Amino acid sequence: MIRFLLVRDDIYHQRGYWVLARALRDENFEVILGGVQTAAGIVRTAIQEDADMIGYRIMNASPQILIERLFNEMSKSDIADIPVVVGGIIPKKDEIFIRKKGVKQVFHPYTPLDALVREVRQIAISSQGKKDL
Amino acid sequence: MFEQSFLKKLEEIQKKYREELRRALSKIPGANSEYKTSSNLSVKSLYTPQDNKNIDYLKDLSSPGEYPFTRGLYPAGYLGRPLHIRQVTGLGTAEETNERWHFLLSRGANALSVVPDDGTGARADSDDDRVEGLVGKGGVALDTLFDYETLFDGIDMVKYPVHLITYNAYGLACYLALAEKRGIEFKNLRGSMSNSIRPETECLDIIEYCSKYVPHFNAGYISMRNVREGGATAVQEIAYGIALGIAGCDALVERGVNIEHFLKRVSWFVNAGPDFFEEVAKFRAMRRLWAKTFHERYGIQDPRCLMCRMHCQTYAPTLTREQPFNNLIRSSIYALAAVMGGVQSLHVNSFDEGFAIPTELSASLSVRTQQIIDLETGITKVIDPLGGSYYVEWLTDELERKAKETIETIQSKGGAFAAFEWMREEIRRAAYESQKQFDSGEKPLVGVNTLVEENDIQLQALETLQELGKFEALYEYSPSVAQKQIGRLRKVKKEREKDKLNEVKTKMADILRNRENMIPGLIEAVKCGLTRGEFAQIKAEVYNQTGEGPYVYNPFAGIA
Repeated sequence: MIRFLLVRDDIYHQRGYWVLARALRDENFEVILGGVQTAAGIVRTAIQEDADMIGYRIMNASPQILIERLFNEMSKSDIADIPVVVGGIIPKKDEIFIRKKGVKQVFHPYTPLDALVREVRQIAISSQGKKDL
Repeated sequence: MFEQSFLKKLEEIQKKYREELRRALSKIPGANSEYKTSSNLSVKSLYTPQDNKNIDYLKDLSSPGEYPFTRGLYPAGYLGRPLHIRQVTGLGTAEETNERWHFLLSRGANALSVVPDDGTGARADSDDDRVEGLVGKGGVALDTLFDYETLFDGIDMVKYPVHLITYNAYGLACYLALAEKRGIEFKNLRGSMSNSIRPETECLDIIEYCSKYVPHFNAGYISMRNVREGGATAVQEIAYGIALGIAGCDALVERGVNIEHFLKRVSWFVNAGPDFFEEVAKFRAMRRLWAKTFHERYGIQDPRCLMCRMHCQTYAPTLTREQPFNNLIRSSIYALAAVMGGVQSLHVNSFDEGFAIPTELSASLSVRTQQIIDLETGITKVIDPLGGSYYVEWLTDELERKAKETIETIQSKGGAFAAFEWMREEIRRAAYESQKQFDSGEKPLVGVNTLVEENDIQLQALETLQELGKFEALYEYSPSVAQKQIGRLRKVKKEREKDKLNEVKTKMADILRNRENMIPGLIEAVKCGLTRGEFAQIKAEVYNQTGEGPYVYNPFAGIA
């Protein structure tokens, strides 16, 4: 079972966060609802929960700043190999930047759920080479 | 509403008509498939007086301005009280937002609204490491009274009603402190704030204080717009709002506050979505059920307490990145529903909101949309123009009936405060179902799951505009905003008197501990330079709130 840590940037709107949590759970992911956390908090939770993957909903904050901070914290804690995917309102320039930094995929609104889940599973499998996922 | 003999004759012609209809549709493939509204109401292809036979005009509709306000709150509708054109604004520091406010007013907006970058206000200051990336991004950075002074620079606080999108007492305290500094009497302020009804001291303190000292400020808030954005149906929007109103009243009664003071000053934040007629009917049903509920439940007579006042923001989840200019058309249609439904105040979403917050260009189009509806179409010249439509009257009845059932369910669970988590689950389930309907194509969304363009000409046009760089075609966040804000904050922190500040901090903590109303003390405290982060910190300590993130955890921080 893939352990998917889902976090978000702020406490405003959260429709996508919950829709995705439900979709992943329906497809046998173990979804860890991380809520709103700072980069250090995300890393701590990822380690505690032994997350296979991190999904970051970014809508109000600056994607460039948040992702850079997250990756710095992940490197410091030696978990830089955990794949990170991002979803939300991500401007084009930010998308280019965070992909370059190493974000595996950026999901925009209205990505069909089945396609999204398939892709997320694929990323998790290829990142870890775990056959039992 | 109709004579028996007439209904009998009608049934005869209807029999014939139904046969004709069946025949006509049988030749068209797929024409028999059932249409369901956003609230899952099955819709027929024709409505007649048969569907309105139980309506009592005098009792259920009555005149605009008369109980139960189905046809509107005021006798003259928009002729007497023009629509408030009120675009939500919040970008960068107070300077940038103030500039945008002046721009919107110059284009004919007649009311203002501000969204801070902090969601609830219970957040750390802009110089705190935990909020890096959030400062001045999803709203305006407002750390201190100094920021509010800049925000309102050159703005007549008496002339323009301002809505503060916060349910935090800090924002209200700054607004009132600023009014005091300007020598404005509180009784002349007619703004409002997003003080969502919730079982919290802060919420009730705000309502209690304003009911006494800021009598024309709408301090109570039924925030259903974001609930709808979160996935709720029109029925849930009505029912959850009214149930929260009931819960708020019950909590205030317990506190010994006269609920009439509260009800007189409660306003709704509502949505206007794609299902045009259902939306129009929703506003009518909302007004009627609100009036009836509070009249019947609490025996309230004063009509001002029974009026469901509404600020509406059009629906956003259907704003697409694909073919972005289609969003102009979507938002215009949603706005039409809001105006035909008789809302008091309106924000029309901008076409670029799938990408970023609005630019001057896109925000001005939102203002123009409302002006075109008002000035060119004649829609605002007739009150409740869809009243009497067999379909809309039937829908109004149905929505009211279903909402009433939902309210009863909530009451059976111990009321809205006790049923908070249940409501949240229902909303999330509805959001998931709706997403699946879009994914399967059952619910069409132009440019996304139907009429997709390989070569998206609109997107190309928008990107070309942006690349030209002659003006801002799409908003771009600059991290320099945060540096600027931190500079503004440091200036305040440096200039304030340390001893005085420590004194107000201690006093504030005592007020919270002793459960005295926090507003008067907070007004004094913000004048001494207390920041939003410091206030959040004091609250966290007194109330034992924990959380390492940028926000203090609040279980009632909005249903959705």
